[in-house]
Amino acid sequence: MNDVLILGIESSCDETSVSIIKNGKEEIATVVLSQMDTHASYGGVVPEIASRMHVENITMVVEECLTKANMTMEDITAIAVTYGPGLIGSLLVGVVAASTLAYIYHKPLVPVHHIAGHIYANNLEKQMEFPLIALVVSGGHTDLIYMKDNYSFEKIGGTLDDAVGEAYDKVARVADIPYPGGPLVDKLSYEGKDVYPLPLPLDDDTYHFSFSGLKSAVINLVHNEEQRGHTVNKADLACSFQSRVVEILTKKTMRALKEYHVKHLIVAGGVAANSGLRSRLKELCKQEGVELTVPALKYCTDNAAMIATAGYFAYQLGRRSGYDLKAKATDILH
Amino acid sequence: MRSLVIDTSSFFMLVAVMEENQVLASYEEEIHTDMASKIVPTIELLFEKVTFSIEDIDKIFIVNGPGSFTGLRVGVTVAKTIAWALHKEVIPISSLELMATTEVTTPYIIPAIDARRGYVYAGVYDQDLNVIMGDKYLPFEELSTYLEKGTLISRDNLENSQVPKVDLSKMVTKHKNDKTVHPHALVPNYLKLTEAEENKAKKE
Repeated sequence: MNDVLILGIESSCDETSVSIIKNGKEEIATVVLSQMDTHASYGGVVPEIASRMHVENITMVVEECLTKANMTMEDITAIAVTYGPGLIGSLLVGVVAASTLAYIYHKPLVPVHHIAGHIYANNLEKQMEFPLIALVVSGGHTDLIYMKDNYSFEKIGGTLDDAVGEAYDKVARVADIPYPGGPLVDKLSYEGKDVYPLPLPLDDDTYHFSFSGLKSAVINLVHNEEQRGHTVNKADLACSFQSRVVEILTKKTMRALKEYHVKHLIVAGGVAANSGLRSRLKELCKQEGVELTVPALKYCTDNAAMIATAGYFAYQLGRRSGYDLKAKATDILH
Repeated sequence: MRSLVIDTSSFFMLVAVMEENQVLASYEEEIHTDMASKIVPTIELLFEKVTFSIEDIDKIFIVNGPGSFTGLRVGVTVAKTIAWALHKEVIPISSLELMATTEVTTPYIIPAIDARRGYVYAGVYDQDLNVIMGDKYLPFEELSTYLEKGTLISRDNLENSQVPKVDLSKMVTKHKNDKTVHPHALVPNYLKLTEAEENKAKKE
């Protein structure tokens, strides 16, 4: 069988990334150009600035990736690109560049859903075995997905309001913890104690999540303390908040594994990098005899390696797009 | 000299394949959404109408601004990707100057794009495309001194404006020997910072 080399392009938010993956599992080369430092000075991602930077960098990143791989476009089997969801202006740059490359080099063009990318990042760690449950946790998603096979996504639960990553960012802002909030709250939580009586959000028998109540509780806590002339202990707040988040995420995930009789769990998305979540899941999965796969930290944040990997499986399933591929700000995972 | 011309700076998409200063095939369409998904199929279609392929062109003329931010990014991304992939020369062209190729009877030509809130992107050119006032972002009323001697050209229904009738031949003749830009360095000429950058600059 010939090797299948997928060139993946990702530009859905503030990372311009290109990667070449062999046979859906072996990383040949990946380049990630992060704009985080630029956006940090604005306290968050500025969509128009992100779009502008993608245009500046796109061909450079493609070239750098090919150079790193010691390959030319002729070696590539197909081009995979994130078409959505994400920031529309950012997505457009990757989609247009990918369509142009596919046209120029007569290569198949494979559209990839950004979340499929996060899920398939796990295949770079260890070959995914089905059926499995995927816990998708990021700035835009908090989903539990049952997969009985490749590209079969059955959403069994999701957030009713804020995504977990969003809640982290908002809590960080309220507690005056600098951008990017998520990783810093995670780090701080180890220096504090779980002393603040925050509620366990949506502790029911569904697989849904809700973080707006928990977020409001944090805001109220900070304000009440301020009115009493106290300041909250940031580390204790981070620890209390993270404890609740990790507890509810793991509780519902473990129940889903049991009820669906599934022995494989994968975690995907930016919040998969959260060390509190990773270590608690590791503990629980060991107890329950569940095999846990979590992507390496570099594959948790946005990158094109995961897009090329998901692109490999989409390619094998015959998924193709014309050069008229449309970027979509929102789209159901399918 | 064979060239590809791309203008996605406004809702009026223009793509043309040229030989010297002759248009061999061109496509023009008013597109208010999804220009991004139209551009590559349109280029493909045009090269089906001529006797050579995209590999055989010498130059790309890309209209890189000012104009719709999204539109500029679409055109510039296509142009820099083709130029990088096929090692083609790329020459950026002002959207306003291209509008100024419209034939008029006044000494000055004043191409303008509505930038809202009383502002426009505009330039002032003479009939030989010499720059009288360079392209800039300015309050519409500041154009009044030029309006006495010039014709206002715009697609945006500005007061007393005339719709452009672009002359690609005139543009190519003037710019065919311009200095080329490295594909990696090709960027839109927005003529305006983002709001976030403006607000930050105000604070500092």
